[in-house]
Amino acid sequence: MVTAYIMVKANTGEADRLKGEIEALDGVTSAHIVAGDVDFIVKVSVETPAEVKNIVADHIQAISGVEDTQTYISMD
Amino acid sequence: MRFVIIGAGRVGLRTARVLREEGHEVTLIESNTDIAERARTAGFEVIEGDGAHEATLEQAGVDEADAVGALTADLNVNFAACMIAKHHGCRTVMRIDEDYREEIYQKYADEVDEIVYPERLGAIGAKNALLGGSIRAIADIAQHLQVILFTVTEESPMNGYTISEVALPAQARILAFGKEDVPMGIPLPDDSLETGDRLAVLADFSVLDEVRQLLVGQESAAVAMGGE
Repeated sequence: MVTAYIMVKANTGEADRLKGEIEALDGVTSAHIVAGDVDFIVKVSVETPAEVKNIVADHIQAISGVEDTQTYISMD
Repeated sequence: MRFVIIGAGRVGLRTARVLREEGHEVTLIESNTDIAERARTAGFEVIEGDGAHEATLEQAGVDEADAVGALTADLNVNFAACMIAKHHGCRTVMRIDEDYREEIYQKYADEVDEIVYPERLGAIGAKNALLGGSIRAIADIAQHLQVILFTVTEESPMNGYTISEVALPAQARILAFGKEDVPMGIPLPDDSLETGDRLAVLADFSVLDEVRQLLVGQESAAVAMGGE
């Protein structure tokens, strides 16, 4: 099991839509709107590191209004 | 009034100056020693420390303050400072670094009473400077509502009339009036409009053209009004 945290930076004020679209992705266990330099922190829980890449590169980054992502894979 | 401002950089120090000029008491919080020293040289009381910490805010007098301006370039510091300040009963103003965030903080951050995006205000000022002339955008009130300052010219259709005779469209109101070189005040029906007088008008974007033609005539017809 691989858990990862993804920092998502948006370029739109439509936080609700983005949150909804992110939460609807397979493997995403939670998404929070946060104050600070990034706009969302997303937690994913999947079987392999390759699936983390798949969620981030193919799905989160494909959402309109997502500008940038940074992924942190949990070590414990 | 008493204010605490976090961040003594370009935005914070400038804000502190304006408040002090208007007779208010201001205490600054700044984490960088050099920048804090510069603000002290300018005559301000500066608490050196992290504005995101309650102890620092208390030291700066958050309990006695009417409002707190979180004006650093760091959103985390700004938001944390607003949360603490709200808890201490202050009105809170937070600086953001990108305009799309305004919507997000307005919706989710109950601790923040008002949001400022310095670049937007700078853009309005730059636009006014570039355009010159007798029309100035003062503020965007809402997406379709703006306050504009008009200066009456020789060519103004309303030059020589009184305020009560100015028939503005329904979606526009005269907010303030000032004779040439006199501070602006509440507009009175008998005030006469003469060259050099200024009118602050609140108007919907849809009637800006009409208002402009009435108050300044055809001159600078190409002046765009949008603050965005």
